[in-house]
Amino acid sequence: MKTKMDFPSINERKPEGVKEDGSPYKVLVVDDSMFVTKQISQILTSEGFEVVATASDGLQGLERYKELYPDIDVVTMDITMPKMDGVTSLEKIIEFDKEAKVIMISALGKQDLVKKALLIGAKNYIVKPLDRVKVLERIIQSIK
Amino acid sequence: MRVEYINPFVEAAFNVLKEVLNTEVKRGELYLKSTSQPVMGVAALVGLAGNVEGRVLFDMSFDTALAVASDMNGEKLEKLDDLAKATITELANMITAQAVTKLHELGFTFDLTPPAIFTGENMEVTDSEVEALIVPMVLPQGKIEINVAVRERL
Ligand SMILES: [Mg+2]
Repeated sequence: MKTKMDFPSINERKPEGVKEDGSPYKVLVVDDSMFVTKQISQILTSEGFEVVATASDGLQGLERYKELYPDIDVVTMDITMPKMDGVTSLEKIIEFDKEAKVIMISALGKQDLVKKALLIGAKNYIVKPLDRVKVLERIIQSIK
Repeated sequence: MRVEYINPFVEAAFNVLKEVLNTEVKRGELYLKSTSQPVMGVAALVGLAGNVEGRVLFDMSFDTALAVASDMNGEKLEKLDDLAKATITELANMITAQAVTKLHELGFTFDLTPPAIFTGENMEVTDSEVEALIVPMVLPQGKIEINVAVRERL
């Protein structure tokens, strides 16, 4: 019996979250909202990315990044969080690894903080409400 | 209380609810309450402090909260657990952020507290010296009341 596996169709595109070598891009999701973390994780996982860790504040995000480094490809970083905000966490991650690819997740009306984050070295930003297309587009732009 | 404070919240609620729930939203009649008022079971409260001060309450029944949170998560949530509460909190965050952007453009300056979620039967809210304006938003999932009590600081 022939299965789809035997004849990959040209219409089956490779998921964007998978590298040339077939391994997934590894993502760290930093957000204090359980809902947003789940939302981002679902969107990324559905496109082949692997969410290797999550953190619920900026300090934990920084620690996770250091633990995972260099086996980490991209970070999504909320801005408003307890203990350490996302812009400070970004700054410390960039201090540790100036090649870090960090994408800010922002509420509306935080333009000043987003600008600051981009100057510090964030690769891109996404304004909430999040949707699949927007999230994938911005993250893929930043890693390719 | 001046009506211009509530309009940005109503507009923002309309836009955000429509976008995240992908559904029709109907705006009900605005009404005013000046004494203690019961809240419906789940309330997300955001405080405002600055040259405008007060609070905004997003008020709904348990069933509505659960239905809204389920739709936002794309799966049926059975109880109002941490995930469901985080979902309603995020909804309040998004609506407030959009409303506040508008109010800042209009020249009002203030800071916000992160939303706090209250749940329970027979709760009521009392605002001293400020009356509350309420606009119900009617969705297939139920009714969410946008309840705003703010004043200019003297
Ligand atoms: Mg946050």
